Amino acid sequence: MSDVVIGISDLKVSNKADDVLVTYALGSCIAVAIYDPRAKVGGLLHYMLPDSTLDLNKAKATPGMFADTGIPLLFKACYNLGAQKKSMIVKVVGGASILDDTNYFRIGQKNIMAVRKMFWKNNVMINGEDTGSNYNRTVRLEISTGKVFVKRSGGLLREL
Amino acid sequence: MINKIIKSVNDLPAFPATVVKVMGLLSREDYSLAEVTKIISFDQSLTVNILKISNSAQFSSGRSIKTIRDAVCYLGKENLIRAVQTAGISKYYKTKVKGYVSSASDLWEHSVAVALMSQILSKKIYGVENSVLYTAALLHDVGKIIMGEYIYESIEKINLLVDKRQCSFLEAEEVIIGMNHAELGGKITGQWNFPAEICDAISFHHHPDLLDNTSADTQWIVYLADQLCMMLGIGNGVDGLAYRGVSKVLRKFDLRDKDLQVYMMDLLDALDDARSMLEIV
Repeated sequence: MSDVVIGISDLKVSNKADDVLVTYALGSCIAVAIYDPRAKVGGLLHYMLPDSTLDLNKAKATPGMFADTGIPLLFKACYNLGAQKKSMIVKVVGGASILDDTNYFRIGQKNIMAVRKMFWKNNVMINGEDTGSNYNRTVRLEISTGKVFVKRSGGLLREL
Repeated sequence: MINKIIKSVNDLPAFPATVVKVMGLLSREDYSLAEVTKIISFDQSLTVNILKISNSAQFSSGRSIKTIRDAVCYLGKENLIRAVQTAGISKYYKTKVKGYVSSASDLWEHSVAVALMSQILSKKIYGVENSVLYTAALLHDVGKIIMGEYIYESIEKINLLVDKRQCSFLEAEEVIIGMNHAELGGKITGQWNFPAEICDAISFHHHPDLLDNTSADTQWIVYLADQLCMMLGIGNGVDGLAYRGVSKVLRKFDLRDKDLQVYMMDLLDALDDARSMLEIV
């Protein structure tokens, strides 16, 4: 098995049974893992910010930076490998926040809202979610099985 | 436990003499390029690292820096100070660490990211970069190098406080170890004779509001830079994001959520330009 690493603001898709798509140490960022068990095609996105209207040029150059440009591209890239929307399994991880009673650093929550809103609008069900709280998460998506594993900083690996 | 920790601080190797000498020269209005070049060149490992750092796009803006003389002539004083400090400080991160992170290079990556973010913030807020702030930001977590061993031994107790008692990681450190890593970092840089502005900024980088009004806002900028890098997950460890927000920071600098998002984008570019700074550890 070989690890394919996805950095911040990046996304990758694969149909190679050997591949494991991995993204490390999500903070307030979100990882979206999608998988079509029939086509055995999967993809992983690590976006940083909710909304591309912040900087449209950046969004053009690095669509994976934003929820609203990264998520559609993730699906399209999987369709290109033969995946279909109706059989897609969708999992969402990340969106942590600092301990913040006054709620002034809201990027984690905004990132969570962005992905939920987008899937709700497009009639996509989220099959598994591990978001919020205040720890980092590493996410692994096995292309051979479609299993998604999440590891919190200093904690154990567990399947989502 | 505290006595043992303080002893480890006293046992730390002195800050590299070459760096101290060069910083002394550069603090004068009229330093001699030849003299600075000569002093740096005596120290081989420092020379190698300064050349690597100087050639990152952050510093050289594309010009090839082949010798220390090139670096001293072309970088400009502020960039030269940053390059020399980065090379000197990196030495302490080439070590095995336990506790917070699985490898010291994670801690170094986080430190470099916070240093770069501090300059992004300084440019936006004050219109200029600031090498004193840069050094404080680069060293803000230096306490973790010594504290890591004690964290490693006590991590279960600390996690229990963070998970069940809604403590911040810093508060848990104080309860279990008797001291927090920020305070310890300030003691280390004090031992190295760094100026009070830097030591204070390090000691208060999680609680900038607790430092009595000072003329500089260094601790506030280091605090904000650190928070943003934690949110991006750059080099984070077992402490994750379990630190308290101090909402006053946004009012203080008149910043909005959107501004913070833009700084995060800027940081990714800056980190891309600074690859060689990460590679020296």
